[in-house]
Amino acid sequence: MTNDTNQVNETVRNFINNSINIDGLGDDENLFETGIVNSLFAVQLMTFVERSFGIEIGMEDLDVENFKSVSATAAFIRRKSPDKAAEAAVRKERETNP
Amino acid sequence: MNAFLTREQSASYAEFQEFAAANVEPFAGEWDRAQKIPDSAVSLLGQAGYLGACIPSEYGGKGWDVVTFGLLNEALGRSDSAFTGILTVQSMVSTAVLKWGTDEQRRKWLPPLAKGELIGAFALTEPGVGSDIQSLTTGFKPSDRDGGLILSGEKKWITCGQFAGLFLVFGKLDQKPLACLVPRNSAGLEIEPIQDLMGFRAAGLARLRFNDVAIPSASVIGKPGFGLSHVAPVGLQFGRISTACSALGLLRGCFEESTSYAASRRIGENRVGDLGMIQSLIARMGADLEAAKLLCWSACRAEDEHHHETFTRTFIAKYFTSQAAVRAASDAVQVWGASGCHESSPVARYYRGAKIMEIIEGTTQVHEVILGKGFVQAAIRKQLAQRREASS
Repeated sequence: MTNDTNQVNETVRNFINNSINIDGLGDDENLFETGIVNSLFAVQLMTFVERSFGIEIGMEDLDVENFKSVSATAAFIRRKSPDKAAEAAVRKERETNP
Repeated sequence: MNAFLTREQSASYAEFQEFAAANVEPFAGEWDRAQKIPDSAVSLLGQAGYLGACIPSEYGGKGWDVVTFGLLNEALGRSDSAFTGILTVQSMVSTAVLKWGTDEQRRKWLPPLAKGELIGAFALTEPGVGSDIQSLTTGFKPSDRDGGLILSGEKKWITCGQFAGLFLVFGKLDQKPLACLVPRNSAGLEIEPIQDLMGFRAAGLARLRFNDVAIPSASVIGKPGFGLSHVAPVGLQFGRISTACSALGLLRGCFEESTSYAASRRIGENRVGDLGMIQSLIARMGADLEAAKLLCWSACRAEDEHHHETFTRTFIAKYFTSQAAVRAASDAVQVWGASGCHESSPVARYYRGAKIMEIIEGTTQVHEVILGKGFVQAAIRKQLAQRREASS
């Protein structure tokens, strides 16, 4: 797993962990099937992804598969904008090790 | 408030106040009694560009930031919450199309919405479904021809339904929530005006009946399954921002009309405002007004910054401001005494209109459920994080 892959996963995982009430959520665990998120979570996650990674989510991206888990969301971000994902990883790295 | 605004936002706010003073305030009582806003007044909103406030310039809109949009709603809400309701639903439809429409849909629908040539309405509520939107009964089924859909069902309490030219309608296709655009002249669409509301009387509410209305596939917004999780929340978010800021304007109206009356009306040797009981009412109104301003601008700014807490902040702003407006309107009538009980006074209309602000775009009680649950969940998450940290 590359550095930017790790960083994107971690950023998404942190956001989701801060939005749900269970401990030890697996990266591949389905967020919507388990009923652990509320009705606003989908748009909150969308807003977070758009703001944090500077990407625009549009009609063509409306697919549960893109956002069903930490791994799926991170993979979507890397697919949608690999450059932005790498930039975010570098930014995060600088924040962690200034 | 100006300390929180840029120079451009302050200048825009002054323009909005001038517009309201000239074109809304003098006529709001008349519109309320007639239960109708004249087409000419709606046209003025379009000519000023206000109906395209949230639409980017590439589609002919103003492309204003959300703080400026909030200021527009506040300024107009001071004069007439029913008139401001047009802005509310126009922004709800526009932002949903902007966010989830295809390029073709944006190019087709946003320019006429921006210019005010087309008024939008958000058709979500049903006769038997209000707060629990997951229980929608309006249904879509596949059409036998052209790959489109057939829409059947009823909607109720639809703001601007009496004169809107375009409806964003929510229903279900095989249990999957779906949104689509339905022009007013669609065959099978019946529109029945709803009269005699206690307030918000000129906002043109209507009941809609969809009797096997043909929906081309090109009119679907988003995709099946995402109507309530993604399309509706984008529109409702702007609906709540607009309503919160409109209620803020109404609250300011109550405060200004009360202080003005208290400063000029005399009881014997004293002014009404010399009475301690009146000062108490006005003190609460003024403090509520300041608090509500901060909450509303915080919500608008969070939306501008695309902050993931924007939804929570907007819920808080709408929750607080609509209730504060109801308190202020009640107190304003009290300050005005008998004069406030007559329809010739602005506070009588405020009193009837304020209550509507607590109902539309989510009742106070729905806000309490969402906010109360959210605050408790945040505490649980904090405890979980502390446990994780302690065990690591």
